[in-house]
Amino acid sequence: MDDIEGKIISNKKIAQGHYLLRIRLSRSMGMVRPGQFVMMKIPGGEVFLRRPFSIYDYQQGILTVMYKVVGKGTEQLSKAPKGTPVLTLGPLGRWFTVSDSAIPIVVAGGIGFAGVSALAKILQGKASIFFGCSALDEVSLLKGAMHFHPFIATLDGSCGFKGNVIQLLKKHLKGWKGKNVEIFACGPENMVKSLKKLIEPYKIPCQVLLEERMACGLGLCFGCVKKTTDAQEPYKRVCKEGPVFDLWEISL
Amino acid sequence: MGNISVKLFGKNLHNPVFNASGTLGYGVEIEPLWGVETLGAYVTKGLSIKPHHGNLTPRVWEERYGMINSIGLQNVGVERFFDTYFPFFKKKKTPVIVNFFGFTEDEYIACAGKIKPDRLIIALEMNLSCPNIKAGGISFGKEPRMVFDIVKKVKAVTKIPLFAKLTPEVRNIVDIATAACEAGADGLTLINTMPAAGFDAKKRNIPLKGGLSGPVLKPIALRAVHECSKVVPVPVVGVGGIMDAMDAVSFFMAGARAIQIGTATFIDPYAIPKIIKGVSNYLDANGYKKIDDIIGIAHEK
Repeated sequence: MDDIEGKIISNKKIAQGHYLLRIRLSRSMGMVRPGQFVMMKIPGGEVFLRRPFSIYDYQQGILTVMYKVVGKGTEQLSKAPKGTPVLTLGPLGRWFTVSDSAIPIVVAGGIGFAGVSALAKILQGKASIFFGCSALDEVSLLKGAMHFHPFIATLDGSCGFKGNVIQLLKKHLKGWKGKNVEIFACGPENMVKSLKKLIEPYKIPCQVLLEERMACGLGLCFGCVKKTTDAQEPYKRVCKEGPVFDLWEISL
Repeated sequence: MGNISVKLFGKNLHNPVFNASGTLGYGVEIEPLWGVETLGAYVTKGLSIKPHHGNLTPRVWEERYGMINSIGLQNVGVERFFDTYFPFFKKKKTPVIVNFFGFTEDEYIACAGKIKPDRLIIALEMNLSCPNIKAGGISFGKEPRMVFDIVKKVKAVTKIPLFAKLTPEVRNIVDIATAACEAGADGLTLINTMPAAGFDAKKRNIPLKGGLSGPVLKPIALRAVHECSKVVPVPVVGVGGIMDAMDAVSFFMAGARAIQIGTATFIDPYAIPKIIKGVSNYLDANGYKKIDDIIGIAHEK
């Protein structure tokens, strides 16, 4: 893990408000594991603090990040042309751990797919992938995982199941009865909440990647916490103890 | 190489650059990038007699030239700090300044009393920006009289040299500084963050109120250091918006004996080692032999 300079190779719009950013790093980031993230910024820009981004892909010195424009930082980033220098601090945080014995199920909502795509790739089709978004346009976020035959839900029904991804997941729940499954999830807070509610009676093991506003990304400032069931120290840092948490240890 | 070592309370520190409390975690978190022994001294996260859970999120908010934080003093408590983390600094022989706080006089006194003198503990640093819940929530650091009282009471229970860390949100910081010194403070840390509010234009609300830090604070901090160091008989540690070596140099020239780096570390995790090197380079390039040669030179004339 280190602070590494890079240059933007491409910054392509893949859906309304969503981009795929490729960066050539000046040196290796070392070992990158699924679920880890980088703190990134364009030096000299209007943005003061770095922003956290899940590592979508990293190979041969090229870092890929998929992001959605949500504020000033991502807006500035979306306008950065090829050749723009960036600073990337990473890889950071705790990652998804995969066991050989459980059947993996990946659940993602919208841009949350950016957090689990590296995992889906590592699982090489062994996982059932559930993806939900608002409409057909956003389904293009899944492009790199289409060959894994994902189950798709759209809120407007323009692609796949009409409804949200948890409603879609519910339809498959019976099939896993008595089987050793594990869920890996990333998506908006409401998705994680309904996921928890849905699988609570079955106590299915579940790792969830969470997000929070961050300042340092290194565990220095305690700015990005989530409340957990740990009575002694309930607030855990998303950047350090996370971003991947055991769903059953998170207070939602 | 310019000699940047400084003497503080009779102890030699190999440089005058510390982290600001709460901006370098418990110290161990920065190890993947650089070692805490790089610091002149490590300033602990603010410790209290009992552990504190801290505030709900959002805890951090970006501003154009700074940030607002509302961490809420989350910490493991003074006891667990010494059990769990202090041995790490012992092993690394890194001098430590123990920052602590309370919400009542009794909490300050209990916490200070709990900290045993140790060769590596250079000083205590009391955070005077906390609300005094027994006085309607007004901060301990607001009035010279309140500062005098609490500093005097803390001094009575510890043999370790004591820094008073002052809030800038006061009528006249020189009066506060003077009161702290009259009560026996052995040094001053100037300044803490400035109370501020963030605004979320999308949600049209105020997501958090907290302490403003970063370069926006620097001129305010510099003024406090300059004015107070002119009149107080104790060492002043400058902190507030120092982003690079030239900022650091300006604080030394304004009268700071040492400086602390906070927000800069979030922008560049190597800010502290870079500033240490940069200050030394500045001395070389400008014909100064030691850091003492520039401390307070802006007081002259």
